[in-house]
Amino acid sequence: MLEFRTQGFQGYAVKYSPFFDNRLAVAASANYGLVGNGRLYVLELTANGIQCLKWYPTQDALYDVAHSEVHSNHLLTSSGDGSLRLYDVSLAPEFPIATFQEHSREAFSCSWNLTSKATFASSSWDGNVKIWNPERQQSLLTLPTHSCTYSTQWNPHTDGLLSAVCSDSHLRVWDLRTPASANNHLILQIPIHSAPNTINNARLQPTFPPSEALTHDWNKYRSEVLATAGVDRIIRTFDIRQPKGPVQLLQGHTYAVRKVAWSPHLPDLLLSASYDMTCRVWSDGGGAPGKPAAELGNMGRHTEFATGVDWCMFGNEGWAATCGWDERVCVWDVRAFMSG
Amino acid sequence: MTQAPDKARERLSQVSGHLASDNQPALPSSGLGKDAILKKSPDDVVVTCAIRTPFTKGGKGPLKDTMGADLLLYTFKNLLSRSKIDPSLVEDIATGCVLAPGGGATEFRAAALAAGFPDSTAVKSLNRQCSSGLQACVDIANAIKSGMIEIGIGSGVESMSTQYGPGAVTEFSELLENHMQAANCKVPMGVLSEQMAKDKKVTRKDQDAFAANSFQKAIKAQEQGLFDEEIMPVTVKYTDPKTEEEKTVTVTKDDGVRTGITAESLSKIRAAFAKDGTIHAGNASQVSDGAAAVLLMKRSTAERLGQPILGKYVNASVVGVPPLLMGIGPWKAIPVALEKAGISKDDVDIFEINEAFASQCVWCIKELGLDESKVNPKGGAIAFGHPLGCTGARQVSTLLTELRRTGQKVGVSSMCVGTGMGMAAVWVAE
Repeated sequence: MLEFRTQGFQGYAVKYSPFFDNRLAVAASANYGLVGNGRLYVLELTANGIQCLKWYPTQDALYDVAHSEVHSNHLLTSSGDGSLRLYDVSLAPEFPIATFQEHSREAFSCSWNLTSKATFASSSWDGNVKIWNPERQQSLLTLPTHSCTYSTQWNPHTDGLLSAVCSDSHLRVWDLRTPASANNHLILQIPIHSAPNTINNARLQPTFPPSEALTHDWNKYRSEVLATAGVDRIIRTFDIRQPKGPVQLLQGHTYAVRKVAWSPHLPDLLLSASYDMTCRVWSDGGGAPGKPAAELGNMGRHTEFATGVDWCMFGNEGWAATCGWDERVCVWDVRAFMSG
Repeated sequence: MTQAPDKARERLSQVSGHLASDNQPALPSSGLGKDAILKKSPDDVVVTCAIRTPFTKGGKGPLKDTMGADLLLYTFKNLLSRSKIDPSLVEDIATGCVLAPGGGATEFRAAALAAGFPDSTAVKSLNRQCSSGLQACVDIANAIKSGMIEIGIGSGVESMSTQYGPGAVTEFSELLENHMQAANCKVPMGVLSEQMAKDKKVTRKDQDAFAANSFQKAIKAQEQGLFDEEIMPVTVKYTDPKTEEEKTVTVTKDDGVRTGITAESLSKIRAAFAKDGTIHAGNASQVSDGAAAVLLMKRSTAERLGQPILGKYVNASVVGVPPLLMGIGPWKAIPVALEKAGISKDDVDIFEINEAFASQCVWCIKELGLDESKVNPKGGAIAFGHPLGCTGARQVSTLLTELRRTGQKVGVSSMCVGTGMGMAAVWVAE
């Protein structure tokens, strides 16, 4: 396992570059992101371990980072003051090349469009998801959720499909190809806490109260499947063709789950990072009916909240990076922690 | 940036909000699984008193001249005296009974009034054959759960001495006689069980061994006084058949229980239902008289009234099976009850499976793969009797007292039901 200390700054998000097979970006904040500055780290995996290529200081805490899909040196951050900033790593100065300031409260996530690659989305505590084009200072579109929106993601298969999860325990899916109308492109609004979709409805179903959803991610192989997770410690997989309720419930974390990420190599593998200081690997059963979901492994290296998770697309499949409030960025082989 | 301290405070409370756990497991209200059923919740339906009369032989024992309603009356009085509950707090009484004409509804209502319940206590009778006593307890539990009542009594009574006979079942119409399955409902239990034993190849040897074991367990339990807690004596009038004089006797023990029964001694008894049959009086449930009652209420109510909590009712199941194979009832009903509770048979400490016939009981235990040492540890109906409508309510007292005595927790009561059904219920002792 490789490690890097983001000394003095607690990690919030880690992302592998889509262009360089040895580059990582980490969004970190001082004082656990509650008050003070932030720092964007650009790290490189070298023969001598993880080295810091560059770092950028920021005025407020950083909560998420995304790599540009079109420009190999551009990085996007979302910050506690509601702004999104674009950095060019190849340039010398420590300043962003563009600032996108419209959110009135903390911007918790940013996500680059993976299909058309021309836009990116941000979500914020102010109850909005905004869509931007890096060449324009003003947002292209604002999608209201009226609830603290912790995470927004583009569907990697269908261009124009965008989702977000909020603290009102709902998953929202927008299709930007539909006309705006009164719904603002909203096509699905799923209560995450619904009872699971099961074939055997005669059985007593567990019931769940609504709870804040902190993270979600689209499956990279099954275009209609996504996973959400949050404060009630349960990771749920949804099939948007059957939005009545979750398909699988993955339980095991003992505290809130902060981040989930589907594997870019296998259609049923999922990594999660939680406040219980563990990162866990799961299989959701692959969608075959009757195939059970299972926890496959548990990485307990972090000694504080684990907050960020990302899989490496290159090289040996199965490597991932995680970060946490213990100021550690860990790069590790997930297969070494999987049993069965 | 303005208002920085407020922002910090808001962010802090947001993160704390992610951690605020209410000490609940990941599945907040699933209520399934052994841990979940052992948990105590104020809305649990709990048993605060469960008693029965002694069981005596139908037509011969000291209760033979006592009307069923009187047995019930004594049982109600005993329940009130032991539980010390204010009778006016009991809102409904359900009494299972199979043979009484009209179900017994009128005389049971009268019995409740005579026992000291005010007229504000409602009474009903019900008949699901051998499971009536259990069904009565389940009905009361369900009424409490749904909020229809707060406190109720599930009970059962049968005076087979005074009411066993053809008067218990109405003549079938041609419509019913001409439908095969419907007509099968009239086939006597002994006859169809004999056929079932033949078809399922349950040998006479196995049946006699099981029956002897039941007698042996029961006599041992009786000698050790293990029935003393659940049995409350009754004082009744009894006409001695030999001298024709009427005496008043106090009955304290089950009189069906006998010493010296072995598989060998049973093997000498002649088969009752077929020349080459396997079932006889010694390996089938005895015809008996008796009554039992169970006081049920919510845990929060019990705590408020200061009632001791003996255990809780978890859930129940009822299943239908072919009338001619009614003996398989427990085999079908028990897994359903276990699944609804989210537990497995290994989580269960004691099974109370009514011994209607050794043949069906042996078969069910084998098919379910149950540990025999967990089944009917104090013996069963073969040893001390099966007053039809009473048994289900009797099992609750037998089960809970034995679970509590041995410090165990999870129990299942079950029985097969004539005309082709099975019932099972999950209980937890406390």
